[in-house]
Amino acid sequence: MSDAILAPTAAPPRAPGIWRQSWYRFRRNRAGMIGLCIVTLVVLLAILAPFIAPYVPDDTSAMLRGAARRPPSALHWLGTDRNGYDVFTRTLYGARTALMVGLGAMLIASVIGVLIGGIAGFSGGLVDELLMRFAEFFMVIPVFVVILAVVRLFGIVVVGTWMEDIPNLNMMTIIVLLGCFEWPPIARMARAEFLRLRGAEFVEAAHCIGSSRRDILLRHILPNAMPPLIVLVALGIGGAILAETMVSFLGFGDPKAVSWGQSLFFNYEALKVAPWAVLSPGAALFVTVLGFNLLADGLTDAFNPRLRQ
Amino acid sequence: MLSTLASASSPVTAAPPAPLLEVRDLRVHFFVREGVVRAVDGVDFRVNPGETLGIVGESGSGKTVSSMSIMRLVPPPARNVGGQILFEGEDLLAKTPDEMEALRGRRIAMIFQNPATSLNPIYSIGAQLGEILRWHLKLSRAEADARVVELLTLVGISDPATRLRQFPHELSGGMKQRVGIARALLCNPSLVLADEPTTALDVTIQAQILELLADLQARLKMSMVLVTHDMGVVARMAHRITVMYAGRVCESADAATIFNAPQHPYTRALLESMPRIDQSYTGTKRQPLPTIAGRPPNLLNPPPGCRFHDRCPEASAECRRLLPLETTIAPGHSVSCLKRGSEGIAA
Repeated sequence: MSDAILAPTAAPPRAPGIWRQSWYRFRRNRAGMIGLCIVTLVVLLAILAPFIAPYVPDDTSAMLRGAARRPPSALHWLGTDRNGYDVFTRTLYGARTALMVGLGAMLIASVIGVLIGGIAGFSGGLVDELLMRFAEFFMVIPVFVVILAVVRLFGIVVVGTWMEDIPNLNMMTIIVLLGCFEWPPIARMARAEFLRLRGAEFVEAAHCIGSSRRDILLRHILPNAMPPLIVLVALGIGGAILAETMVSFLGFGDPKAVSWGQSLFFNYEALKVAPWAVLSPGAALFVTVLGFNLLADGLTDAFNPRLRQ
Repeated sequence: MLSTLASASSPVTAAPPAPLLEVRDLRVHFFVREGVVRAVDGVDFRVNPGETLGIVGESGSGKTVSSMSIMRLVPPPARNVGGQILFEGEDLLAKTPDEMEALRGRRIAMIFQNPATSLNPIYSIGAQLGEILRWHLKLSRAEADARVVELLTLVGISDPATRLRQFPHELSGGMKQRVGIARALLCNPSLVLADEPTTALDVTIQAQILELLADLQARLKMSMVLVTHDMGVVARMAHRITVMYAGRVCESADAATIFNAPQHPYTRALLESMPRIDQSYTGTKRQPLPTIAGRPPNLLNPPPGCRFHDRCPEASAECRRLLPLETTIAPGHSVSCLKRGSEGIAA
């Protein structure tokens, strides 16, 4: 009997699930698509930087040739800055730092946020209360002051120890600190979603099927809680990139890293003489953050079931 | 000696079979800030093999909490504070969480009220039904798929192989409920709990789903607990009926007795307040539809005596003082009412 049923429908077309449906809706969202294109472009440029860039990022030979602060030319497409760096090369390599900061910080923030928010929402009661007050505590701390202080102090403490040899230690400190302060919004959203889904009937159904707690959390609740979290993370990446730029611009960044904030910090005094040295990293920063924000915007719409047609 | 011989020679009239499920003196209380809500306060019922038990009662009478406690899934702040739930001779309340996980969905399954929300939106039908089989019966993916298709066919879903790849939102409400029923039956459970399985559906779909459930129940000889507030549904589906009020059982009997010769005043009032097709409720000769005056007691501080006394037309002074105990007044018919000969205890 079951053979007869199975036979005629050999290859049924796979119907769209929640992710594919969201993709359909996302594709119709112009802002989101522009954001996605920008982000893709930035990612590609960052990956391919060594192949595209005409110079090595640390190359200051223009300075020795007396060619610092030169306007764009065939030799230096976006000119050179006051240290003799090729602006185009530095801007390209800056994308790597920016993405590393954005993705790294948000990865840390997501893990902490989903863990804390998920536990709070799923357990409820006193645990929820304590964890959420803990999250609020982190929200009221002025991130910048902490980062500036820690980066400066850590830089001094480290001198003379084995940690001094870790490459980009300052940058990593910044990433970790950003991650450790950006998680509360994610935790709050995760808590709300877990709280909502904990009472959902399909979760109750999963209990009745005999699913284990772990299965219910990881297979039933977490995937359904993802959409709003993804939007928050996309927004947060832009925020983290901006934050790192500000730290670097104030001179507390990693002196060895090639970052847009660093370039702005080195060159803002020469704004009138060599504006290209500031405008290029500034524009790159603007476009990248805009790209992530547009992407987040598009994702919000894509995951919003009310816009379903 | 004589009686054993007699019963051996005629098994049809033998003593009633051992019940599949026997709930004794179940107590589930909600521990809230204001105090203790006695949502289920000493409930007894039993389900025989191959039989459908209808649990009826109004909202808040404890019928859903009773059925959830069979699964040991009463949500906090509710807690099981007493009683026994004997399922196939084992006390479920004494089982470990792991043993319960192995039992849920396999030997006791549940059909939910709202098919739109009881299926996980992000998994295809095949994925979420197959998961149960792979988990409980350790079937391979292909075996699980085949079994799911078999069950979907059984519940009357056309083109089941295609449905396997579809997602819940692509199915109609009635179809989703059929999937919900298929999900409950996947592992051949000996007991199915159905909590208001048709309340969220259109009237026409309701009829189809009830027909399907009655048909499956008869064909698979499964036992079912049907929780509902709809007398029409139990009339159609249940072999035995337990009427609940304010966390206690009023009356238990086979369906015909409940409808033809109800004893408890609450059962009577409940049946009288159903609209009848041979009565006119409009026009000049209209009569008002009888209702039960008053409202159920607050279970936070239930009044002493019978829970129904302040709405009961027959209530006397002792009803306000004594809590009636369940008393068998005829074989298979028990009632908790002082006016029907029940013993009362001061509570």
